[in-house]
Amino acid sequence: MSDPTAPVSYTVEDFRGSRRRMRTEHVVRAVLFMTALVSIVVSVLIVASLVGEAWTFVSQVEAASLWSEGWFPRRGTYDIKTLLTGTAIVTVIAMAVAGPLGLGAAIYLSEYAPRGVRKLLKPVLEILAGIPSVVLGFFALTFLSPVIVQRLSDDATQFNIAAAGIGVGILTIPLVASISEDAMRSVPMALREASYGLGARKITTTVRIVIPAAVSGLVAAFIVAVSRAIGETMVVFIAAGATGGSLFSTDPFKPGQTMTAAIASQAAGTDQVRGAGLTFQSLFFVALLLFVITIVLNVFAGRFVRRVRQAY
Amino acid sequence: MSRTRRRAPAAALLLPVVLLATACVRDTETVVVSGSSTVEPVSIAVAERFADDWDEISISVDGPGTGDGFELFCDGLIDINDASSAIKPEQIEQCEDGGIDFVELRIANDGIAVLTNPDHAAVDCLTLADLYALVGPESQGFTSWSDAQALAAELGSDTPLPDVALDVTGPGEESGTYASFVELVVEEFNEERGQDAETRPDYQASADDNVILQGVGGSATSFGWVGFAFARDADGVKMLEIDGGDGCVAPTDETIGDGSYPISRPLFIYVNVEAAAESPALEAFVDFYLHDAIDSVAAVGYVPLSDEDLAATRERWASRTTGAA
Amino acid sequence: MALTTPAAQIGTVVPEQVRRQLTGRRSDTAGRIFQAVLIGAVGASVAVLGVLIYDMVQTGSGTLTDRLGSFLTGNLRSQPGESGILQGLRGTFYIGVFTVVFAFPIGVGAAIYLEEYAAKSRLTRFIDLNIRNLAGVPSVVYGILGLAIFVKALGGLTGPSSQGRSLISAGLTLAVLVLPIVIITSSEALRAVPASLREAGYGVGATRWEVTRDHVLPYAAPGILTGTVLSLARAMGEAAPLILVGAVTGYLSGGTELDPTTLGDRFTAMPIIITTWAGRPGTQWEQVTAAAIVVLLVVVLLANAVAILARNHYEKKRG
Repeated sequence: MSDPTAPVSYTVEDFRGSRRRMRTEHVVRAVLFMTALVSIVVSVLIVASLVGEAWTFVSQVEAASLWSEGWFPRRGTYDIKTLLTGTAIVTVIAMAVAGPLGLGAAIYLSEYAPRGVRKLLKPVLEILAGIPSVVLGFFALTFLSPVIVQRLSDDATQFNIAAAGIGVGILTIPLVASISEDAMRSVPMALREASYGLGARKITTTVRIVIPAAVSGLVAAFIVAVSRAIGETMVVFIAAGATGGSLFSTDPFKPGQTMTAAIASQAAGTDQVRGAGLTFQSLFFVALLLFVITIVLNVFAGRFVRRVRQAY
Repeated sequence: MSRTRRRAPAAALLLPVVLLATACVRDTETVVVSGSSTVEPVSIAVAERFADDWDEISISVDGPGTGDGFELFCDGLIDINDASSAIKPEQIEQCEDGGIDFVELRIANDGIAVLTNPDHAAVDCLTLADLYALVGPESQGFTSWSDAQALAAELGSDTPLPDVALDVTGPGEESGTYASFVELVVEEFNEERGQDAETRPDYQASADDNVILQGVGGSATSFGWVGFAFARDADGVKMLEIDGGDGCVAPTDETIGDGSYPISRPLFIYVNVEAAAESPALEAFVDFYLHDAIDSVAAVGYVPLSDEDLAATRERWASRTTGAA
Repeated sequence: MALTTPAAQIGTVVPEQVRRQLTGRRSDTAGRIFQAVLIGAVGASVAVLGVLIYDMVQTGSGTLTDRLGSFLTGNLRSQPGESGILQGLRGTFYIGVFTVVFAFPIGVGAAIYLEEYAAKSRLTRFIDLNIRNLAGVPSVVYGILGLAIFVKALGGLTGPSSQGRSLISAGLTLAVLVLPIVIITSSEALRAVPASLREAGYGVGATRWEVTRDHVLPYAAPGILTGTVLSLARAMGEAAPLILVGAVTGYLSGGTELDPTTLGDRFTAMPIIITTWAGRPGTQWEQVTAAAIVVLLVVVLLANAVAILARNHYEKKRG
């Protein structure tokens, strides 16, 4: 039997560990790296699938058709401002609904709600967040339009942008509420307590201290909500009516078209659309525009969110 | 450390591969029908009855519009194109380029119903000149009915057009109903006026006849046009009488069938001959369409062909006569 | 201003009284109005949800109570009174399967790599930014991606009998759509794992993968599963990508079997059925549309509720 007190010599090999386990480790690391790269591949594919046809459109389109009386892709009039205006009107109406309601709900949940109420209300908002957009589209067409919009204006048609805008707003409320609430809850209690210590009322503390402190997060919430509203397709597709082509219009009580619904309308049922030459390519051009706009907005929002995280 | 836990990640990554592998196995018998949204209800009715009898078959029917349908058809992507207007010369060329031989089969008669809101009492009957004045190529920018009065008068019509908002909802360029309307109404006048054979561009266009019906019904003084079968049962719209020179005629089965309603047109299906030769299911489907199920036309609300016309269609299919009639 | 409460009453002084004395007995009207406004905002949000659900249930109740069985097992028909949503349920089911089978392993794997393995380099930050951007891209754009890649480029693989316009293409497109969300929620779940857990593992000589697999993942599992279920619910409700990938909108005779070999055929799904029926005129179609919406809502909201309840339960357990 060997002497337990005798010196033992070790080489580096002894410390390397089981070969099999190290091999597994390297294989796993490589596989996981590839799954992480999938996200990059997806981005590249999106850009690749859009850019080719979009470039065909841009290089061949007559500049005059980009500033004409309406978006009629099958006739070769690609008035982009029709789509941009439609998107803008829907977004403005949506934010007019989601902004106050979402922010109000967030302030209440963060500052005023007692524990039990909060526990009940948060899931309700999360349920609202889970409602598919086709449901809101149908609701906008069959309820919001006749019951609300057509009462507000006498010559509102059944399909109108206002109903679609309200529908998109309802969809966005939970998003605004949750991001704003996170922003306000991350304001340290110490700030509030300091304010109370100076004798301020609750409303003063909330409005003068908490909200300004959380403003980066609130702006982020706003930008993310705008991005979501811009990207919303089905509510407009079902409720705003202009599925084939649309005149340039700023009247929210008439039918209209947004960028997203224009893309969906063109490709409904067929991927070959008949038209004056560049009809199919116009789809890709609009999609590329949409992609760029949402990326820019998201990068912006990201900057604000990071500022919130850094501050505290 | 359980073996299952060790193997779970590998399984998670292999599962997608297994799923794709099993899914790519079968090549089903399919019949793909697309094209006109006007003819779509007939094709759907026939397909329903056919699928009830035949088991292992996948029939799909869509209705993006006659024009879009011809794009797919002439690329060989669909087996049958429903059409609410006859194939055009440029589409014939496209099919030749794509190497597609087709059989043109007339299956029904249809009228184009001109619609307005039921509460719009001021207008009951319009002449063809009125229609041209309201939605023709020279009408861009007309926002009220009375704007078209001057043009209609020039063309010889004296129907009083009220001074109310003109909200136009109608089929877009992809639709055969659009093409038929242009052929039957616009082409009466456009050449002598030196205009293109098209409608005004500034109206709410949709390939979906139901959207047009909803658009017309939703506005107090609207104007629109769809296939007769869609309008006859629709509540919320009023069909106008049309005066083609012999007095106001309302669209009914009889007036469309005997041609007294001025804006009637035939409905067709175009069948890919090669696909029919290769697919017994497709051949049986077309046989079924023209024989056992031809009463679907009336069931859906269109006007059936006369006996001679139906016999001619059946003969065309039996002999596989290709090309446009 | 001195407190005027007699010593004997100090123990029973109510906070309200103190506040009143401190603020000089002015009632806080602005505060009350503000609070009322906030409650109004919350109330309106809840009311909207309530009205929506009530409206759908009421419009669809006829169909659901009279012929629930034939509605759930029937096919698309031309008559609203005979139409059923079986094909839609099957399509949506398979889309869910594809989402879980594809987005879950790849998404969790990517999250593990980014949180556990990757050094904080520029590449990692770029991948992170990229994922956040992808999460905000509209679903229509993913639809175009699906059209260009899965339908047209890979059409032979994804659906030889349907020119690529099959459930396989749809499922893959939606899996790609929810992938960023799965990655983000899984990353957050992994970040919440206490460092001490990992360090304990390394301390006894485990490799990184062994620590992740045996300690980090089980701890983060509830959060990861919540995120996956929420993504699943999102995928099942999306319609725009399905329109672009070529779901049938008119009539479909097949598409009712659960047999996976039929995945290469033309298909339809619940959101598409709802979109198509929503455009059809008449109260009868309105009723069946509402009924279909109720069914879809039950599925989606149930999934959301399960995910949220599970998350709350585990959050409470963790303390």
